[in-house]
Amino acid sequence: MKKLLFVFFVLGCFSVNSALAQNRMITGKVTASDDGSPLPQVSINIKGTQIGVPSDLDGNYSIEVPSSATVLVYRFLGYITKEITIGNQTNINVTLDPDITALQEVLVVGFGTQSKRNLTDNIAKLDAKQLKDLPTAGFQNAFAGQTAGVSIQQTNGKVDGATRVRVRGVSSISSSTEPLYVVDGVPITNNNESTNGAAVNPLLSINPNDIQSVQVLKDASSAAIYGARGSNGVILITTKRGESGRAKITLNLSSGISRETNRRDWLNRAQYIELFREANANSGGSNASIEADFDFLAGNSDWRTGEVDTDWQDLVFVDGYNRNSDLSISGGDDNTRFFFSGGYTDIRGIIRGNDLERISSRMNIDHKFSDRLSVGMGLSISKSSIDRLSNDNAFATPLQAIAQSPLSPAYNADGTPNPNTLYYNFLIEDEDANYLTSVWRTLANVNLKYRVLPSLDFVSEAGYDLFSQSEDRFWGRATETGQSVGGQGFVSSVRTENLNLNNYLNYGKDLAADHYLELTAGFNYQTSTRKYQDATGVNFASDDLQTLASAGTITAATSNLTEFAFLSYFGRANYTFRDKYLVKLSARYDGSSRFGANNRYGFFPAASVGWIASQEDFLSNVKNLSFLKLRASYGETGNAEIGNFASLGLFGTEAYRGEPGLKPTQLGNEDLKWERTNQLDIGVEFGFLENRISGEIDYYSKETNDLLLAQPLPSNSGFTSILKNVGSLTNKGFEFLLNTKNINTTNFSWGTSLNFFTNKNEVTRLPGGDIISGRNIVREGESLASFYIVEFGGVDPANGDALFVKNTENPDGTIDRSTTNNFSEASRIIAGQAFPKWEGGITNSFTYNNFDFMFTFQLVNGHSIYNSGGRFQEASGDFYDNQDVNELNRWQNPGDITNVPQARLFGGNGTQHSTRYLQEASYVRLRTVTLGYNVPQSVIDKIGMSRARVYFSGFNLLTFTDYTGYDPESTADFNSGFTNNIALGQAFYSAPQAKTYTFGINIEF
Amino acid sequence: MMKNNIKTLLALISLTAFMVGCQDALDIKPAQSLSIDQALSTPENIQAILLGAYDDAGQTGSYGGNLNLASELLGTTNEVSWQGTFLQPRQFFQKNITIDNSFVGGAWTNAYQIINLANVVIENSSIFTDADEKDRVEGEAQFLRGIAYFDMARFFGSTYVAGQVNSQLAVPLSLEAILSTEGNDFAVPRSTVEEIYAQAVTDLESAATKLPDSNGYLATSSAANALLARVYLQMGNFAAARDKANSVIGTNDFSLTSSYADAFNNGTNSTEDIFAWQVTDQDGTNGMNTYWATRAFGGRGDIPVQASFRNTFEPNDQRGDFYYTQSNGTFSLKWQNQFANVIYIRLAEMYLIRAETNFRLTTSIGATPTADINRIRNRAGLTGPLNDFDPILNPITLQDILDERKKELAFEGHLLHDVKRLGLTAGGKNFDDPLLVFPVPQAELDSNPSLVQNTGYNN
Repeated sequence: MKKLLFVFFVLGCFSVNSALAQNRMITGKVTASDDGSPLPQVSINIKGTQIGVPSDLDGNYSIEVPSSATVLVYRFLGYITKEITIGNQTNINVTLDPDITALQEVLVVGFGTQSKRNLTDNIAKLDAKQLKDLPTAGFQNAFAGQTAGVSIQQTNGKVDGATRVRVRGVSSISSSTEPLYVVDGVPITNNNESTNGAAVNPLLSINPNDIQSVQVLKDASSAAIYGARGSNGVILITTKRGESGRAKITLNLSSGISRETNRRDWLNRAQYIELFREANANSGGSNASIEADFDFLAGNSDWRTGEVDTDWQDLVFVDGYNRNSDLSISGGDDNTRFFFSGGYTDIRGIIRGNDLERISSRMNIDHKFSDRLSVGMGLSISKSSIDRLSNDNAFATPLQAIAQSPLSPAYNADGTPNPNTLYYNFLIEDEDANYLTSVWRTLANVNLKYRVLPSLDFVSEAGYDLFSQSEDRFWGRATETGQSVGGQGFVSSVRTENLNLNNYLNYGKDLAADHYLELTAGFNYQTSTRKYQDATGVNFASDDLQTLASAGTITAATSNLTEFAFLSYFGRANYTFRDKYLVKLSARYDGSSRFGANNRYGFFPAASVGWIASQEDFLSNVKNLSFLKLRASYGETGNAEIGNFASLGLFGTEAYRGEPGLKPTQLGNEDLKWERTNQLDIGVEFGFLENRISGEIDYYSKETNDLLLAQPLPSNSGFTSILKNVGSLTNKGFEFLLNTKNINTTNFSWGTSLNFFTNKNEVTRLPGGDIISGRNIVREGESLASFYIVEFGGVDPANGDALFVKNTENPDGTIDRSTTNNFSEASRIIAGQAFPKWEGGITNSFTYNNFDFMFTFQLVNGHSIYNSGGRFQEASGDFYDNQDVNELNRWQNPGDITNVPQARLFGGNGTQHSTRYLQEASYVRLRTVTLGYNVPQSVIDKIGMSRARVYFSGFNLLTFTDYTGYDPESTADFNSGFTNNIALGQAFYSAPQAKTYTFGINIEF
Repeated sequence: MMKNNIKTLLALISLTAFMVGCQDALDIKPAQSLSIDQALSTPENIQAILLGAYDDAGQTGSYGGNLNLASELLGTTNEVSWQGTFLQPRQFFQKNITIDNSFVGGAWTNAYQIINLANVVIENSSIFTDADEKDRVEGEAQFLRGIAYFDMARFFGSTYVAGQVNSQLAVPLSLEAILSTEGNDFAVPRSTVEEIYAQAVTDLESAATKLPDSNGYLATSSAANALLARVYLQMGNFAAARDKANSVIGTNDFSLTSSYADAFNNGTNSTEDIFAWQVTDQDGTNGMNTYWATRAFGGRGDIPVQASFRNTFEPNDQRGDFYYTQSNGTFSLKWQNQFANVIYIRLAEMYLIRAETNFRLTTSIGATPTADINRIRNRAGLTGPLNDFDPILNPITLQDILDERKKELAFEGHLLHDVKRLGLTAGGKNFDDPLLVFPVPQAELDSNPSLVQNTGYNN
């Protein structure tokens, strides 16, 4: 028996020994699949046991596994859990895929945070990964193709151009349609301060690399907490903050080149001569007269010999580049965390003379004094310097050079620009004029959080936003502006100071089993002061002395000041029952100096409910259903961007020969107030197959009332309009979001993210009747800013006359569809809309071993563009402007069937505003494509890095469209002020967008 | 512990209560503008509103340039041509104006802004305690209102025909100050040409009485009388025109500049200027310079003067040499200085009106037509004997006087109105062609249902 026992003991020892002998150490590294960054604190467990270890800060782990263990489970918040069969491996490197559905994700909402799972709002989010590697200065370009319900449009290919962001359509006719931007709790200044008529994006002063996340509050439930400023959506920007642990140094370097997305074909010398000889003859001009014109255009050259055949377009576009360096250091311990960053961006645009340079720095620090008291601060400073161009409606703007004749030499023999061109030669402006715009932004905020009771926090946030912009312009003696006045200089400076204070209480408690309540209440005070000044001088001592100190005469100087203030109270209650029934109420009581005396305060409530159906017992066993939530919300928001003093009857000042004059500037209306939007949102969120397929579907209906409209008055009143809250419009649409993990293996993964959204805009009430601005109309029953224009009817085969469809009403009420060559006999019709009918995006991401590959297509459909420049560019030889080659398809002989009327110099044959120049501009664009390679760990370890990735990325590489203009996204920049919501969708010598090829490297130490 | 928490909470609540004091912060007043009450509260402000009316009138959209431009381009046959890119002037030149022509719309709007400011001044003139000041201010306002109505009638109504009731439509008549929409109906129909001319005459006659003889660069009694001479001439009331012109000449407040060139491009009024719209490098815009001067002088070089006109001058006539030639054409020197005043009425016009009306009436009030014409010719460097027009051997004809007028006043905004007054043609269009009349602007038709469009215009 003892023996037996001994044997057992020995065997036992053996078996223990053998068990010990069979225990293996498995080591490896866990990284994120999308950007290759190491993941710390990943829990690594042996499946079916409690045995587990976390990964360290560099993502490395080692775990001892018994022989019985077959599978390791890797879990990390926000990533899809992965199981790996151990087999014979001793080194297992794992990449985890982000859980795109990210239901555990915590979202920043106004004055607090909330888990995505329990959210009853509709909020779209971009994270840092989607914001990095952008080749544009403004972060808003990251929205393109990524976010359902958020449309973006970069005005055109100038690097500084405004970017319009529209959240769920356009909710205003005459006020701003820009969302409210809030950075770390501070609503920031978003004024276009350009003085040349073309807007500059004020947010290009924010370095996208400093942004942790961007969240768009789209529905009333989320935006009502911002009350009178929530109607256009609210964009919450959260900057990066440090995490405790070893300090991490991140360096991103990239460098790229860019070109225009498209060129057009213009007549060359021979074609130009042919067409204009013919146009001249058709108009009864003599051969001698057109040859004299050619002589004039050719200057000192001989147009007959072909010595000059200038391709003006080729002089406009240049090779652009972009360089970006970004360094950040972050880290901290349990009590103090920090994030420091510095960034440098240098972009040369694709149009001659257009450059941008930005330096920026940010410092965010958080400190925990005790379990009850924590404070944080953030400070960022940035400066952007932009070499700018004239707006699109100026001869000095480069792209207007396409109007110049190919007979005209661009340069004189001595290399100076030829001043004797048909129009002012932009090359003179390029050489002898300067236009420097500098933008500074300082954002500072401090916050304090004090735990008053275990379930009650007091939060105080103070923010300061200083936005400064200066412009320095100089026109030398050779320029159009400077030549008659001995050189001209202009300087301007504007400073907007914005102070914001939020104080609020957050209460959250499990009231009883199954009942959870969260309350928020507080107030907000904001004041903004804008000071502007400028001066103009002429008669400069020398072209080399360009500050106004050298001006002989100061011809103009001005300064002005404007302010506004908001004082608001807000509250919110979230109630959760049994973790599946969700109710939320919120309200804001908003007072503003902008509102008329009779309507100083407005009340903006919202309510929403949600039901996490997948929590119900009867659904818990449904095969493959992982998550299902239904939600609905309704609420009211406002748009307070109505101007600071719109309600007052005012006289402004003018001078007459140096003596002060007064003139009425606007009629008063004490009832004037915010524009009011009521929005309904119904949505469903779902996940299948352990959320490998997940998505959201929403329907929204926004009705905006009390639209501020300049009601036209007959001029015999002495005024042309008065502002009233009278109009209504609606925006309705569907949003569809789908994320799938198609393939997910150790070495290879493929995920798809698809979004699609529609918006139907309709003006429903417009007392005072149609508002017509140029070629756009606001009309009851139509989409805002529809094109309203005479219908081009082709060409009369008999005589080459341009024809127009009459579209007049017959006595019997029918429409007369016959054509006429008399433009005045034709009526205008609604001929298209300026906004897309639907948009979407599809992103595919792949990882294969160390490679990652991603591309996004953006789809935009249903909008039209009116080429206002068409009347000069495709004008049937009406004037000496160079013509599109398509004009060669002109009518020449009786019987010719063509859409290009007979060429007639000064004949105005079809050059009136008509649908001849209107085109639908739907497009599909390969917006981004990125190929990255993570340098293997074995290599980077040797050089002391924790991570290294090289990548290539492309931006706007391919565009598919039937639109024949420069670019289906490019429109005229002089209409791009944020408050012009009517004169939209028009191109006028507007530059195409840039396509960019970038190489970069991300390194972490 | 609990007590501390409550204390803290109370502190926070009191902080919140303090913030309620911010309410006052919502009362923010504009820093660049006055309320209507403030604006009407002092004599200085009413005077400033009067200057605002001058400023409005002097804008490019009306008297600073576009009205003259329209007259010269609509009226031209072969005097000038248009080679610019702006479509609005091009339509004038081609006599094919569309109803959305923004220059036409701007002229209409601008006129009523002038008129409303004048109305505001007139209604508030009682704030001036000094009777002379009150008269002056009212006179200036009536002068400006008279100018505006006169040109509205000329451009938007068809030709005034002497000796009949001119019942053709002109523009709405507005004589009350409007600073609020309350209780106002702006859907006013067009008054007749007769009524608008009558208003202009009433205003200008009243202004001539009330205005002082001397008033700096602002309106004077002579300015009102000089304009009346022009108005009466347009109406075919030759006797009244003659007498007004004669009275202005008779004040001896004005004298022809020694050379023709001296009459132009002046930053301050010349001895010859009876009234001019003020432009300095600080304020005002010389809108004539914009189109008539070349790039080298701050303009666009849009309107070259044709050889056919230049060749009508006699040798040695300074006026026939008052041009400069650049690569893109030959241009008048009259508008070369972009910071010069925009001439409105100068003495030479008075001599020409007196000559023409004396001739037509076979009188010699003030001087003989021959003497007046020779005075003009002499100043232009035609230094021959003063009796170039010898009463016996070479008697002056009406055509001589009209030719002289055209040469002297070319490109100053008279052409279209002379075509209409004299029954001539412009670019093949008869003087009474509907297309030589402005259309009622689209925006006005859209906002005022009482308006009727002029003949010849659709849409």
